[in-house]
Order: sequence, then C-alpha cells, then structure tokens
Amino acid sequence: MSVEQVREHSGQPLLDLQNVSKHFGGLAAVQDVNLQIWPGEIISIIGPNGAGKTTVFNLITGIYRASVGDISLDGASLVGLTPDRVLRRGIARTFQNIRLFNNMTVMENVLVGQHSQLSASILGSLFRPPRVHNEEANARVRAIELLGFFGNELIERQEEYVINLSYAQKRRVEIARALGSKPKLLLLDEPTAGMNEVETLEAVKYVRRLRDELDLTILLIEHKLAVTMGISDRIAVLDYGRKIAEGLPEDIRRNEQVIAAYLGKPTVAEQQTAD
Amino acid sequence: MAVPMHTSNRLFLPARDTRMLLIKWVVALIVPLAVFNFVWQGDALINNVILGFINPASAPVTDGQLVEAVIFIAIFYLTLLALAGYLVAADSGRRGVLEVWIDILIFTVVPILLIVATSNNLILGLALCGIVWPIYFILRRRIPFLSFLNPKSVPPPEGLRLIDSEQRAIMIGRARAGGFWFGTSFAVIWLFVDLIFFLSGQLPTELLVVTAIRTVLLPLGGYFLGQLGGMLAVRRTLAANGNGNGNHASEESSLRSRRQKERQILATSRASEETRAVVPNDLPLRSTGARNFFLILLVAFVVFYPVIDPFLFGSGTAGRLSGYNDAGYYVILALGLNIVVGFAGLLDLGYVAFFAIGAYAWGIVGSTQLGFISPIHIPFNALSGLFWPMLLVTALIAAGWGVLLGAPTLRLRGDYLAIVTLGFGEIVPVVFLNLDTLTNGTNGIVGVHSPAFFGVFWSQITPIPYYYLILALIGLTIFANIRLRDSRLGRAWIAMREDEIAAASSGVNLVRTKLFAFGTGAFFSGLAGAYYSAKLGGVSPETFGFGDSVIYLAMVVIGGIGSIPGVIVGALTVYSINLFILNSLDTLASDPTNFLHSFDQFIVNIVPGFTFGNIRNLVFGIILIVIMIFRPAGLIPSARRRRELTRAPEGEAALELGSLDVTTTDPGFEAEVRIE
Amino acid sequence: MTLFIQLLLVGIISGSVYALIALGYTMVYGIIELINFAHGDIFMMGTFITITIYSAFHITDNPPFGMPIVAALVVAFLASTILCAILGVVIERIAYRPLRNAPRLAPLISAIGVSLILEDVGKLWKGLSPISPPQIFNTIYYIGPITISITDIIVVVTAAVLMIALQWMVTSTRIGRAMRAVAQDREAAALMGVNVDRIISFTFLVGAGLAGAAGFIFLLKFPTTTFTIGFELGLIAFTAAVLGGIGNLVGAMLGGLLIGLIGSLVNLIPNSSDPNVHGFGIPHGGGAWSLAIIFAILILILVFRPSGLLGQQTPEKV
Repeated sequence: MSVEQVREHSGQPLLDLQNVSKHFGGLAAVQDVNLQIWPGEIISIIGPNGAGKTTVFNLITGIYRASVGDISLDGASLVGLTPDRVLRRGIARTFQNIRLFNNMTVMENVLVGQHSQLSASILGSLFRPPRVHNEEANARVRAIELLGFFGNELIERQEEYVINLSYAQKRRVEIARALGSKPKLLLLDEPTAGMNEVETLEAVKYVRRLRDELDLTILLIEHKLAVTMGISDRIAVLDYGRKIAEGLPEDIRRNEQVIAAYLGKPTVAEQQTAD
Repeated sequence: MAVPMHTSNRLFLPARDTRMLLIKWVVALIVPLAVFNFVWQGDALINNVILGFINPASAPVTDGQLVEAVIFIAIFYLTLLALAGYLVAADSGRRGVLEVWIDILIFTVVPILLIVATSNNLILGLALCGIVWPIYFILRRRIPFLSFLNPKSVPPPEGLRLIDSEQRAIMIGRARAGGFWFGTSFAVIWLFVDLIFFLSGQLPTELLVVTAIRTVLLPLGGYFLGQLGGMLAVRRTLAANGNGNGNHASEESSLRSRRQKERQILATSRASEETRAVVPNDLPLRSTGARNFFLILLVAFVVFYPVIDPFLFGSGTAGRLSGYNDAGYYVILALGLNIVVGFAGLLDLGYVAFFAIGAYAWGIVGSTQLGFISPIHIPFNALSGLFWPMLLVTALIAAGWGVLLGAPTLRLRGDYLAIVTLGFGEIVPVVFLNLDTLTNGTNGIVGVHSPAFFGVFWSQITPIPYYYLILALIGLTIFANIRLRDSRLGRAWIAMREDEIAAASSGVNLVRTKLFAFGTGAFFSGLAGAYYSAKLGGVSPETFGFGDSVIYLAMVVIGGIGSIPGVIVGALTVYSINLFILNSLDTLASDPTNFLHSFDQFIVNIVPGFTFGNIRNLVFGIILIVIMIFRPAGLIPSARRRRELTRAPEGEAALELGSLDVTTTDPGFEAEVRIE
Repeated sequence: MTLFIQLLLVGIISGSVYALIALGYTMVYGIIELINFAHGDIFMMGTFITITIYSAFHITDNPPFGMPIVAALVVAFLASTILCAILGVVIERIAYRPLRNAPRLAPLISAIGVSLILEDVGKLWKGLSPISPPQIFNTIYYIGPITISITDIIVVVTAAVLMIALQWMVTSTRIGRAMRAVAQDREAAALMGVNVDRIISFTFLVGAGLAGAAGFIFLLKFPTTTFTIGFELGLIAFTAAVLGGIGNLVGAMLGGLLIGLIGSLVNLIPNSSDPNVHGFGIPHGGGAWSLAIIFAILILILVFRPSGLLGQQTPEKV
C-alpha cells in the first residue's frame, strides 16, 4: 500500500483499540486511546518521550492489563490475556531495549521464538520419538530461514552467544525470534534506535520487506521522523497518554498540535513578547 | 608450526614428522600407564585373574568377579589403543611435546601419587589434587618462565581446517602408526618386566604363555584399533569440496543435505568453539572426540569399581562402597535441584521437603506403617518386590507435591521465592514430626524394607546391589537432564531464567514452565528419597532440615549452576568435605606421629572443643563465600557460563579446573550468573 | 482468660525482640535488596557477648542492687550493641560488597556462607549445649491475676526507646535522609553526592547494632541461648519484616509485634490428645506447630499481598 492510498478501509480492522486507558495509581499513562489497524498496513506511533507509546505496546501484548476499554485482534478481545496467549493469537513484538536471552546462542534465541509452534511435551522431550526429533530438526531449518531473511551474516553466526553481537545484529535476531511464531501483527518498538544512517536505511528496507514478503501488518514506535514519514501508511501521535492526531504522514507533518507537542507550547510570557 | 601433511605413510620407518608425533603421544600415554601399573601392580590384577581361571583352588576370585575383571581389562586396553590412534591423528602440532608431557604429568601422575601418599585414600588424594591443580594453573599463568605451558589460542578461521581425501589418508596412516607403536612399546616394556620377574622366580610358568600372547596381541590390536581411532578423528573433519566426509552417496534425506549445508556454513563461520571438535586440533586431549574416550574409561571404571577396588585399595571395600552409595543420592539431589535452580533459575531453598516426602512415601508403604494407618495390609514378603513400582510412584508423588508447593511461588520475585520455598522446607518436616498417627512422629518409621531383585533380598550388609542401583538411577537422571536441557522445555526454562517477560512474549507459558520445573526437580528428589529410606531401613523427621537444603544448594553452586558435570562434581566435593575429608583429618591428627597432631593440639589450647569435624560449617561457609566472589560460575561452569568468565584487570583468565588443555577465554566479558 | 492475657504479654515481649531483629533485616533489604541470612546469627553473637560480660563481672543469680550490677548491665548492653555493629560492618565489607554488582543469587549464597561461619564460631566459642546467663532481676508485680516482672517492663521500654530513636534518625537526620535516598535509587543518590558505600556500611552498622541490643534484651527475659538460636529467631524475624512490608521500618516493628503475638497465642490451641478437650484441637497442641504456622502465614502474605501490610508495590519497568 502506498502512502497516497485511499483512506477508506473496508472490513474488520486487524487490531482495534477502543477507548483504552491505563492507570498506575493516580497516574494515567494512557488515556482514551482509539486506534484501528487494517491488515497489510505499516502504522507508526510517535510522540515525545513518556507519551505512553511503549505502554500501548505493553497493553496490546498483555504485559499490562487495560484499566478501561477494549483491545481486540480480528474481533476477539485480548484484554486479560497473558503475553504468551497474546502471542499465540498472532501478535509478536520486539522491545525498546532489546531483550534477547543473553546466555543463549542466536540459534537458540530464534528457536525459543518458535516455542508456540512446537508441540513436544515433557515426555516427548525425554524420549525423543521420531516425531519430536523431526520437529526439532525442522525447527532448526526454519530458524535458519528466518535468520536468512537478513542475509547470510546471522546464519554464519548462529552458534554464537548473542551477547557477542553488534547492536544492529541483535535487533535482527530479536525480529527473527519474533517471526518464529508466525504472527499476523508485528510490533516493533524503536527498531532503529541507536543505529547510524546506514543501518537505519537498512532497517527501513527490511521493515518494508517484512510487510511485503511475509505478509505482515506492522505497528511501530519510532522517534526518527524521517523514518516514520517515509515508511508509514498512517501515523498516530501520542502526547501525555492521549492520541492527539492521526492521519497520513504529510498531514501529521503540518499538524500544529503535533509540532507543539514536540517543541513545547510557548509560555504566556513568550507569547506576549512574540506578539 | 602446523604438522605438514605431505609425507608418505610408512609404518615401520615413519617419516620424521610422524616420528615426532609418535614420540609425543606414545610417551604421554605410556608414562601414566606405567606409573599406575607400578603403583598398583596392574599386571598383578591381570595375573591374578588368569591364575584364578587356571587354578581355581588357589585364587580367591569368584567367577562373577573374574568375568567382570576380564571385561574391564579388555575395555581398558581397547580404549587406550584406540585413543592412541585418535590422539596422533588429531594433533595439529601446535602444542609442543614438553607442554603435553607436563600436562599429563600434572593431571594423571600427580593424582596417582597423591592417592598413594595418603595411604590409598581415594577421596583425600583427589581432595589434595583439588589444591595442587589450581596452584599449577596460577603458576602457569603468572610465571613468565612457565608461560609456554599455556595453550595458545588460535584465530578461528585458521583453526578450522579443511581436509581433502589424500590428507585424510595420511591422518589415518598416522593413527595406525600411533596405535601400533603404542601397543608395541607397551608390549615390549611388559615383556621386559615379566622376564625379570620370571627369572627371579616370582612369575609362574603358566603366565609366560599369557605374556607371549600379550606381546603379540598388543601391537596387532594397536594397529587396528589405532586405525579405528583415526577414523573416528577423521569423521570430524570438514571436507574441502563440501560433499560431506567422503561419504557414500547414500540416500539423501532432505535433512542430511540441510545438515551438510549447515556444516559448510560452519566452515566459513567465525564460531571458534567449533574448532575444538574438529580435527586436526590444537587441543586434542580436550576435543570432544577425546572426551568420548575418557568417558568410556570413566564409565568402565565406575561400573566395574566393586571388582577393581580390592586390587587398588586392599580391604575395606564394603565400607567405601557404602560411602559411595550415600554420595550417590546426593548426586541425584544435586541434579534434580540443578533443574530448578540451574535451568529454570528458581532459587529453591527448601528442596529437602521433596526428599522427605519421597523417603516417607516409601517408608510408609514399605513397612508395617501402612497397615497401621489404613486397611491395606501388604504381605511381608511382597513388600520388597513392591519397591520397584513404588520407586516410580514415589517419584511421581514427590513431583505432584513439587507442583503444589511451587504454585504459590509463581508470581514472586527471586528472593521472595527463595523464602517461600525455605518456608515449605521447614513446614514439611514439622508436619511429618507432628502427624504421629500418619508418620509415627519423632520415633520415625523403622523396619522399612530394602528392595529385592528376582527373589533375592538385599540386606543392609552388602552394599553392592545398592551401588548398582544408585548407578542406574544416576545414569537415568543424567540422561533425563541432558535430554531435557536440549529440548523445547529446556530452552523455555533457560529463556525464562534469562528474561521472564521476553520469554512470555515469545510464547512461553510461565506458569506451566515453572510448575514443570518444580515438578521435575521434585521427581528426582523423590527417587533419591525412596532409595534413602530403603537403604537406611528407616526414616525419621529429624534428618530433614534447612541445613540439608543449604547443602544441596551448595552442591549446585560450588559445582557449577546449570552444568550437569559440574553439579555431579559439586555433589561429590561437598559430600566428601562433609563426611570424609574433615573426619579423615581428625583421624590423621589423632596420630601423634603426624604433623597434624601438633597443629591440632596448638589450636585446642586456644579453642577447646575444636576438632576438624566440628568446623564443617565453617569450612563450607568460607568455601561458599570464596566461590561467590572469585568463581561464581562454579568449579565446572556450564558451557554457557564458560564463555563469560571474567578476565581480571591484570589480564588473567579465570581458573578452569577439570580440563587438561585449557583455552584462554576471550577478554572483556563479565561474570554473569544470571538467575533471577 | 488470665492465660490469654499472660500469653498476650509474652507475645508483646517476644514481639519487641522480633521487631528489633526485623528492623535489621528490613533496613538491609531496603538498601541493597539482600536477605541477610547472617543477621540472626549476629543476634546470637550479641547474646554470647552479653553472657561473656556477665561472667567477666562475676555476676551470679539474684545479685544485690548497686553500682556493680548497673555497670555490668550498661557494659553488657554497650558491648553487645557496639561489637555486633562492628561485626555487621565487617561482614558487609568482606562478603557482600565485592558482590555488589553480581546478580541476585551471589550475595544470597554468600550470606548463607557467613551464617554458617558464625554458627560454627559460636559453637566453638560457647560449646554445643545451651547456656544461660544469671538471673538478674527478680521483682515481680501482680496486677490482679496477671504476673509482670520488672524484666518485662525493661524489655519493652528499651525496645520502644530504640525503635523511636531509629525512626527519628531515619526521618529527621541528614544521614537518615541519605539512607532513604540510597534505598530508593542508588545511582541518583550517588549523583547527588551521597557516598553510597559509606551509607550502606552505616546501614549495616545500625541494623547489626540493633540485633546486638536485641540479644542483650532477649537474655533478660528468656534466659537461654545456644549457637543455633540465630537461625530460628532470624527466620521468624524475617517473616515479621516481610509481614510488615519489607523496606518499611514501621512495618517491621508492626510485623514483629504481630508475629510475637501469633507465636504466643497459638499456644491456646489445645492438644488433641489431651483428655480434657475431648479430641478438639490439633496433635501436640498449637505450640508444637508454631513455626509451621508462622511460615504458613508468611507464605500466605507473600502470595496474596506480596508487599506486606505496609509495603508498596514497585512495578517493573518494561
């Protein structure tokens, strides 16, 4: 879908957030957020620090439970499900600070990502009947395929412990791990954080490829405006836990409230001197 | 420095480079063998066996022992001959002759001598090794003069060599030569020794036949077994043309072709650990291939130990075996706790609870107690046979309680989880103590039946059947642990330990995974418990307390959290300290001629009431603290931790005990014992 | 009824001792998130020091009131408190500080190690059997059918004074503020110029000192001690700290009192084999189960209210 596509969407949204709020004690981290995402879209959530973007991710994936409102995937509600259940429904994610399993190799990390797709029970693990044996072998092959999405580099380093990898490589492993569960919706939390320009361009390319080649819907949190403008079908802007704007990139770019949120509203004194 | 490969293969006049290899490895293998034989008259072992066969009246060896000894000897020789071939083939030439010899000296000859020096006390001798070896390591790293002894680390792409078929043939030729010449040297030396004995009248004529047979068989066997060793070595090479190891073009399942592809990728990858398993190898003694040989030797030694013991250590076999039996259930407990603490990262301070449940479960069923508390009366002579199914049932009962007692801890953070488990570890013995009607309270249950095998009752007198039972149980436990660790469940455990939230977000059901960890850990504890009460013949609540849970945890921590060989060593170490070493020191100190005596007297003047046995907890405490500060990954770290051992600011690599050729660890990693 | 009030009294007194020990646990946990297994054994050391001082002063049972006895009491109290405080600091320096940045498991195991060492030191110092200090105070007052001795009063008063002093120090002094800051956010406190190492040492100093004082007080009322006493009492005191909300000083005091009361009042549960109660009750009576009951309470609290009565939930930042 190109950016100029018609704004009308037909059918049921893939992900539907209805009046979602989350309170921590007296603090409302997220307030009254509405968002719909249709299949095949790349949607970005942007906003200043502390706006509640990661909280929204955590609400979707079940790490937090929404205080108010409903979140549904393909019409079925996700509220109250534990993160592993949410994953099994078809939503996978990466984390802002990269949460890989440091004491495991690249291959093992990606295998864990396939946990929900495998079915070996404890007895099966003990006795390793042919069914389990094949399942494991196939899982490894699939892991290599997933790593191969990013080229040969990670395949070559599959037996290395992830703690040895560079930052960009770790991000890719995290994505490969997330893909292991065959998700419908992929949540990427600041996928280009800490990357230089070259790495960022690469990341943008593979985000698009994820949508195009793997038929995924992607929701991302992103700080680099250039990235969001270039890649998103639509952008939602959060500030202080509320959604203050949503729309096509060029509209968001010109939106006064968005600009004010990022740059700060002028104080009364400043306004007086400006006039 | 790599060994050139463009030489021809002559057996009787080997080329110079092959000659160097032969000298290096044949001497390296012969010397410890010679020392061993000299100290314990290994040939006397064989001679007695043969004599017993020829002349049954004069020899005190039973038929069963005969057969076992013969099999052990056969395995021992076969393995050594093949190992010789393997080592010669696997050597890449990077490690010099002197270095290998000194290593062999320190790691095989020194233990033998220490064991002899402590009057044939296996445990004490090994304990002293535990002091000598770290000193060697420290010296080797610190003293520049000795620095050549350290193995050099090899940059990975160079370390991983691709071999073509011609080079492979050369390697196999070398292996044949290695086995042959090892066998020959061995045969010649023993021929010499036997002739001396014969000429001085100490060797019966019948045994000369044996000598002759041996002198012929050893070189011959060496030739073929060396070839076998060489073939095993060659299997681990990477073919240059990527078609696998020169395999027959057999049925290509898509699986195998995928594996070939992975191997090919490995060939160009930078994964340096793989070089250790692939030949030629700059650490042949430590490669995975050599390790298999060592494992075979170790297993043979352990399995045939009851037969070998009288020859090695003289009388007192039964006492020693009984001690090992007790050590055995500690090993099972350590392995079980390793699942909970090591794999899943759940700090369990109340593990003794499940042990108690297991012990009481068999204690109640296997004695008259069941008749007291329920209408079920099992006929006396059936009780012993009931042990076998009850072994499984008891373990399952313990597993069930593991799940029940684990359930409240599901949402708790690490230290709170520890306290709750500690609480259960306290509650369960109190329950057993106070529920008199069920458990007979403080008096405990006596008259618990020992198992029976095909109608043969085991009394508490011969420890041998218990020895094999515990070996079987340990074998099972190790097998289960390895299978679980490398499975979907094992990965889930480790992922959960590393990062619960990431694990959950990857599809791991935390509740089920944690409960499985508790249940599985408790299962093995139950096994040990049933064994314990059967062997002891009774069970009493005072034997289970928090102190025991601490000991089990100490076994896992000291040995190496998450590492299967580590916790086994940890269990044996802790058990020895707890029961053997300190008491042996006391025995030694009571002997006025021993220097320890004056030391002991000196301390008693200051601190009356001092005995070595009395300071057991003190020693433990100090060891725990020292290990946590200096080597938190344990004595034998698991493979994961190994790569994370700290390099101290002075540039020292951390100590790695238990390996013969030691690789230097990569710089710049921090010690991380990630258990939360 | 009299039994009930008597037990209530005993409960308050033992509760005071538990509270003092619990404070040490909760302070250390609050500041470095470590369960100091060795803390109970520091208490044990305090009791041993006290007994040693008494014998140095040649105190025997029922001594005449006068300077020597007052001096002995004061010296014993001070010695116990100060020496234990120093012991606490030394332990922190040797066994915990090197592990400041190690993952959670390491200092915990180190703490277990220290506990083992202290127990054996105690065993070597004073032997295997329980020892008793001389009975110093004898005056008993009667309020109706209730018996109170002067030791009861001294114990409660001293404990209360200490707790109040601690609360004042933590809330109103500069160093107390620093302690609270380090407990909340170590890095930020360091950035604000707080010498974190010194504050942590100071926390151990105070906590261990309180344990030493508790040892002195304990012996006034319960005249027996042995080298294993630290473990049991320590665990009970830790339960109290958790019950009140770990990291919360008032919570520790409250928890201590509650646990003391519970531990005492369970003795009201009759023994089911006692013919007078016709089978009502539990085997061996409530007293035998007190440890199990206290632990069961601990587990229930942790499961249903993990932050204890007065503690605060700190959600993990994702």
